[in-house]
Amino acid sequence: MEALQTKAKELLAAGTVQVAIGYGKGTGNARRPLFVTKPERAADLIVDAACTQNLATYLTKHEVRVMGRMAVVAVPSTLRSILQLAAEKQIREEQVLALAVIDGQVRELATFEAIEEAVATIPDAMSEADRNMIDKLSAMSVPERRAFWADELVRCVKCYACRASCPMCYCERCTTDVNRPQWIPVASHAVGNLEYHVMRAMHLAGRCVECGTCGKACPVGIPVHLLTIYAEDSVRRQFGQRGGASAKLDYAMSTFKPDDKEEFIR
Amino acid sequence: MAEPFEPKITAFVCNWCTYAGADLTGTSRIKYQPNVRVIRLPCTGRIDFMMVLKAFTRGSDGVIISGCHPNDCHYTSGNYHARRRWMVFRDLLEFVGIDLERIIFSWVSAAEGAKWADLVNEVTSKVRALGPYRELRQLAAVGID
Amino acid sequence: MARVGVFVCHCGENIAGTVDVAAVAKAALDMPGVVHAVDYKYMCSDPGQTLLKDAIKEKKLDGVVVAACSPRMHEPTFRRAAEEAGINPFLCEMANLREHCSWVHDKGAATTEKAIDLVRLQVEKVKRDRPLQPIRVPITKKALVLGGGIAGIQAALDIANSGNPVLLVEKSPSIGGHMSQLSETFPTLDCSQCILTPRMVEVARHPLITLYTYSELEKLDGFIGNFKATIRRKARKIDEKLCNGCGVCQQKCPVKKIPDEFNEGLSFRPAIYVPFPQAVPNKPVIDVKNCTYYKTGKCKACEKLCPTKAIRFDQEDIVEVHDVGAVVLATGFKTMPVGNFSEYGYGKLKDVIDGMKFERLASASGPTGGAIRRPSDGKEPQHVVFIACAGSRDRLKGVPYCSKVCCMYTAKHAMLYRHKVHGGQATVFYMDIRSAGKNYDEFVRRAIEEDGVKYVRGRVSRVYEEDGQLVVKGADTLLGAEPVEIRADMVVLATAVQAQNDAEELAQKLHVSYDPYKFFAEAHPKLRPVETNTAGVFLAGACQAPRDIPETVAQASGAAVKVAGLFSQPTLTREPIIAVVDRQPPPVFSSCVGCFLCKSACPYQAIEEEVIKNRNGDVLKVVAKVNPGLCQGCGTCVSTCRTKAIDLEGFSNEQVFAELMCI
Repeated sequence: MEALQTKAKELLAAGTVQVAIGYGKGTGNARRPLFVTKPERAADLIVDAACTQNLATYLTKHEVRVMGRMAVVAVPSTLRSILQLAAEKQIREEQVLALAVIDGQVRELATFEAIEEAVATIPDAMSEADRNMIDKLSAMSVPERRAFWADELVRCVKCYACRASCPMCYCERCTTDVNRPQWIPVASHAVGNLEYHVMRAMHLAGRCVECGTCGKACPVGIPVHLLTIYAEDSVRRQFGQRGGASAKLDYAMSTFKPDDKEEFIR
Repeated sequence: MAEPFEPKITAFVCNWCTYAGADLTGTSRIKYQPNVRVIRLPCTGRIDFMMVLKAFTRGSDGVIISGCHPNDCHYTSGNYHARRRWMVFRDLLEFVGIDLERIIFSWVSAAEGAKWADLVNEVTSKVRALGPYRELRQLAAVGID
Repeated sequence: MARVGVFVCHCGENIAGTVDVAAVAKAALDMPGVVHAVDYKYMCSDPGQTLLKDAIKEKKLDGVVVAACSPRMHEPTFRRAAEEAGINPFLCEMANLREHCSWVHDKGAATTEKAIDLVRLQVEKVKRDRPLQPIRVPITKKALVLGGGIAGIQAALDIANSGNPVLLVEKSPSIGGHMSQLSETFPTLDCSQCILTPRMVEVARHPLITLYTYSELEKLDGFIGNFKATIRRKARKIDEKLCNGCGVCQQKCPVKKIPDEFNEGLSFRPAIYVPFPQAVPNKPVIDVKNCTYYKTGKCKACEKLCPTKAIRFDQEDIVEVHDVGAVVLATGFKTMPVGNFSEYGYGKLKDVIDGMKFERLASASGPTGGAIRRPSDGKEPQHVVFIACAGSRDRLKGVPYCSKVCCMYTAKHAMLYRHKVHGGQATVFYMDIRSAGKNYDEFVRRAIEEDGVKYVRGRVSRVYEEDGQLVVKGADTLLGAEPVEIRADMVVLATAVQAQNDAEELAQKLHVSYDPYKFFAEAHPKLRPVETNTAGVFLAGACQAPRDIPETVAQASGAAVKVAGLFSQPTLTREPIIAVVDRQPPPVFSSCVGCFLCKSACPYQAIEEEVIKNRNGDVLKVVAKVNPGLCQGCGTCVSTCRTKAIDLEGFSNEQVFAELMCI
């Protein structure tokens, strides 16, 4: 933790970056995002097991960007987000610097190449809890799964916290905001909620970095992240590609192989 | 006695292979069941998964998605892109509990008029046996007391 | 509020026989936005179109739905009519009541109900149609003709004679194709070479024809008027400019025993060879597989003896890219190999030959100088059995269709045999004699009546060898299926005409459709027989279906006229069914976020980057832009776009959504 504070302080003092995005103390034991612009405030930065939110979400925000070059405290999924954002031309190398926290060590990763190397050594990120939940759901019958999701999704109030917390949901106009035609009903009801969450998972398939931030952001506790993680896993299983592996475009869903294998098309 | 259930089948087809194939079914006067409504699109690559969801939520009991065989796409590779999309979409639909028996994918070329008739007949009969797709429509009432 | 008119066509009895057209028109009137609905006997007829035009004017319609046949059939007709009545042609849609409804369902309430639904879908669509302006693109006025047989030759000459340059590409070392191998041609018995070779020479001499023999199409990119053809010119290992065709190399080549393809293996050729004496160009090619130098690194006899020093052992293939505006496919056919016939000895009986071999035997330029000699021992056969429909009309052989030319050439073969071997006996086994065509039936009658060819109606079940003779076992179905056994010296099989082995691969390169037998598919079986589904790609000859020479030549000229017609326009008008990225006023500029995931989804590299700058030149945003010249309108980008910033004209999100809302 001290190493991080020192590093952030140095970078800010030297003017290498103008803002360090990290975690600070929140209510109780919770952590909240902290934007440090003055070297002397670097001491407020915290790193511990409670720091799980993917801070890459802020890298595409106009208000943050105008401050100048950004250093971001990066858990493994954040690194993948940076690469995916780079591949999608949403961020340039000179705009960002990652302070990667890997196994308790802080490493400064100033280039996409360095981030790619670090990401390559990180195993696929699905947490054990998520894996167990997906296995449990997969073992259910189709009607059971439908019942499970019906019960969950009916509670969705369409606050879009999942979308707001997601680093890859940076679109200025989401499909949900389109009203000609109105793909996703404005009102919150089980059918429309299902359409919304399936849509979001499809849009994240091949781009999701499996941080689970969307699930944690949900105020009513719907495990929406399971949908995006499942879609990402589906891409990985079938096409051997994953989101956020490279700063060069490698999006499984806008490419193909002539010998992609399926067994359901007659 | 109640009227026997007649399923609503929505078909998303590409203009160059399956639509032309279905035209050939007509030219060859091969009969099939009248339950299908065809939405003509230029290419399977144009078939947004949102359209498929909408078809179900708007009351389709079954959906057919069909286009050119691999390698035969009029636009070179639209069908390959579509195939990838379907591979993930289908997986995800199953994960959220949508009955995959009701969504049928097929390659029907412009020369396969008979295959189109067989496909429609088979899907119509199958969906008729499965009964109306109430599950999604019932969802609309979930949580409303 | 929309003012839509609905026009329900009876198509004579075709639609009205099964669908209650009056009920459809009545139901249409109740659909929101429909202000006018009628049914009429033949909408596509002149009075029908006038009805439509008058209604557009009188009722001030801003959208038209014609409920008739397939839009693939008459959409252009009705769009033109709408345009003539003063509305944008793209405000006209068709509901397919014939191919997709009346022809495939029985008469009844469900069928009429479906017809009403089909109309409703299109009414919802047409209300959201936007007026579109055709896109104009330049045309490269140069044609690519693939295949140098009689079809390709005729097409190339006709296009070139209309004043447009042609690139004629032939995969073998000479043009001429199957026709150059034929002896005489039915029904006039004029010599094939005599009528063909002048045409071949004309091709070589024509100032507007560039001839690439020993070359193949690697790939074809682009679209009508603007194709890019990648051609591989295989190395002949000869400097064609230096070679004067003296033929010394052929005589001195020490390898002599390679079966000669031109003579169907009835003679041999050296490793450096000109396929036949009349070849165009008359330049040899080194057969790398069989040349001693390429096998052992030694020899080079030809190089040493070539008087013009034209041999180039180190010559490599050349790959060139050519801009062309249209393509004529004239790649021809193959015949079913004799090895496919277990009942006729698997091709192992030397004296069971196919029609092409017989052509070479009968040809004055052939290995026997035109004398009929059987391959096994060179003796003159005294009894020859001709078996028609060898493979054709035989489902078990995978060829249910009629090969069309065999009845005629079998009569010709039998006739030629009788002319050359006066005492010989010719027997033809046939299923039916199909001799429709000018002077065709007369020709067959002549073979039977004047030349004494014996026709036996029946199939041959087996051919086997016994005591140096062939035993042909069949049945005469006109004599109560009586078994017939003939001892013959030679058997000629009229093997089925099939698509070339690489037809499927080629079709895929050009994105043209093909039938289950790999013959290329025409755009419409009756009305667009020389066009394909891919605009700018035309068909000529037996690559489309079995054809004889007159038909092939006629079709080649037809294809040439289509090309010349296309090239006669200053620019090309393309359907504006293309993708468009939305633009909005500042500060949004576009709902595109510039992720460019659509870029890799586009099969045509049509998505470009547009940099939006402010007055000071600062970059505000980089967004996607569709190049309208390259976009073909598949819509793959549209369904890839998460923000729905791209939409497809003519099949927009709003339109499809509206259709879905009324299912």
